[in-house]
Amino acid sequence: MRVFICGFGTVGQGFAEVLARRMDFLEERYGCPILVTGAMDSKTYVLDRNGLDPLDLVATKQRTGRVGEDEYSDSTKVLDQAAYDILVEVSPTDIKTGGAGLRNITHALENRKDVITVNKGPLALKFNELITLARRNKCKFRFEGSVGGAMPIINLCRENLRGEKIESIRGIFNGTCNFILSKMDKGQPFDQVLKEAQQMGYAETDPTNDIEGYDSACKVAILANSVFGRNVTFDDVKITGITGITEEAIALAASRNMVIRLIGEVSETKLEVGPRLVPRGHPLSISGTLNTAQIISDLAGPITVSGRGAGRTETASAILSDLISIMDERTE
Amino acid sequence: MIVNAELFVKDLPGQLVGSIEPISLVDGNIMGVMHDRERIVNHRICVNITFEVEEQRQLEELMRIWKSKDIIISKIGSVYQTYTMDYLLIGDIDAPYIEGLINKASSIAKLDAVDVRYSSKGKSSRRTGMISVKTRSEEDLDRLDEFLDAECRKSDITYVRGV
Repeated sequence: MRVFICGFGTVGQGFAEVLARRMDFLEERYGCPILVTGAMDSKTYVLDRNGLDPLDLVATKQRTGRVGEDEYSDSTKVLDQAAYDILVEVSPTDIKTGGAGLRNITHALENRKDVITVNKGPLALKFNELITLARRNKCKFRFEGSVGGAMPIINLCRENLRGEKIESIRGIFNGTCNFILSKMDKGQPFDQVLKEAQQMGYAETDPTNDIEGYDSACKVAILANSVFGRNVTFDDVKITGITGITEEAIALAASRNMVIRLIGEVSETKLEVGPRLVPRGHPLSISGTLNTAQIISDLAGPITVSGRGAGRTETASAILSDLISIMDERTE
Repeated sequence: MIVNAELFVKDLPGQLVGSIEPISLVDGNIMGVMHDRERIVNHRICVNITFEVEEQRQLEELMRIWKSKDIIISKIGSVYQTYTMDYLLIGDIDAPYIEGLINKASSIAKLDAVDVRYSSKGKSSRRTGMISVKTRSEEDLDRLDEFLDAECRKSDITYVRGV
């Protein structure tokens, strides 16, 4: 099985490391090695039909800032040159246009390649087009890590809860906002906590996508399409961010034993992201950078999952689970 | 749910308190008590109590306690489910604005009870109001949510509702 890693930042490197750690397990399970036959970052690429050492790729990237020596201007031309069966698309997300990620995924599916991605932009903007293309070309297309990082949610709903009618999903889908709001619970003002989150690497230099709720809205759109079979995009989500939350509001909520959390809500009729009052002790009142989701289904009732919503190894673990699912399907 | 019960208790000292206490024992909330000394049947006097409990289970436990205390339940009526929700409004708000909003909301949804609290003035000009509402249907809450959300978006007020 040949894998091409498109995007060699934190998640791409994390996946290469996880793949190296699980190489023996995978070879034993499937009786053949997993070959990384190509990798690409924002400027350079490297190809080898015989397979590249994933840890060497990480070392090269960390030493030189580049994954390969050859530069490219059109990523799809690199994909055309590569010999691969599965594209792992983990390039930086673009929630306005879908960016290079959308082009790469589309190109791979058009060429009948299986795709695994955690790239939210293409999924939040063109989900149904991509799923339709994958079905038409009989490709496997998986994206567990795009919502909640290591927290299982999409495959949990689509596979483990098969047979259930899922009525709603509510959750905390952005660790940065949850970090900020839970620090505000202790009396710190918004601006101060945001700076702290940036210093600790939880928030980007430009935190707009997180604090305005856009990142959560992408995830809500992905869940609506993948779990509820709706046909929506990021633009359909009713969004309110957390920039309007004041210390006084937090204190007033606390006086009623409640906290404020940024909650994404999806159902057949709802598609929202906004700050919500959550009673202390409720599964959605968790503190820190964790993600959590409460699934309400007709037979099983409420099911709550939580886990690390981001991180190098954590997100890579979701990609690995998708890889194993594809390999299992291929070997059936 | 809000429940109205008509009880007959023995006309002896302490019996009235004895009929009310079990409501607190099941974590209920007493909303009103009427002691009707004019209605006496078989040496028992009538007590009409309105109270609120969260679940049917509490009501059943309460009825069991009353029966064990030899309190006769002659009527359990006007029983209805209530739905509660809290809303935070953050922005350039004051009491007249919130009152106006609640008046408008009352024509859209049937509100059984409304309670408003305000934050003390903070460092910013933005003030927070918390509106706690009880309605008799989830549809009323949905209508109220839609109304408050739209009004807040119009007035650049941050709107936070309960889960």
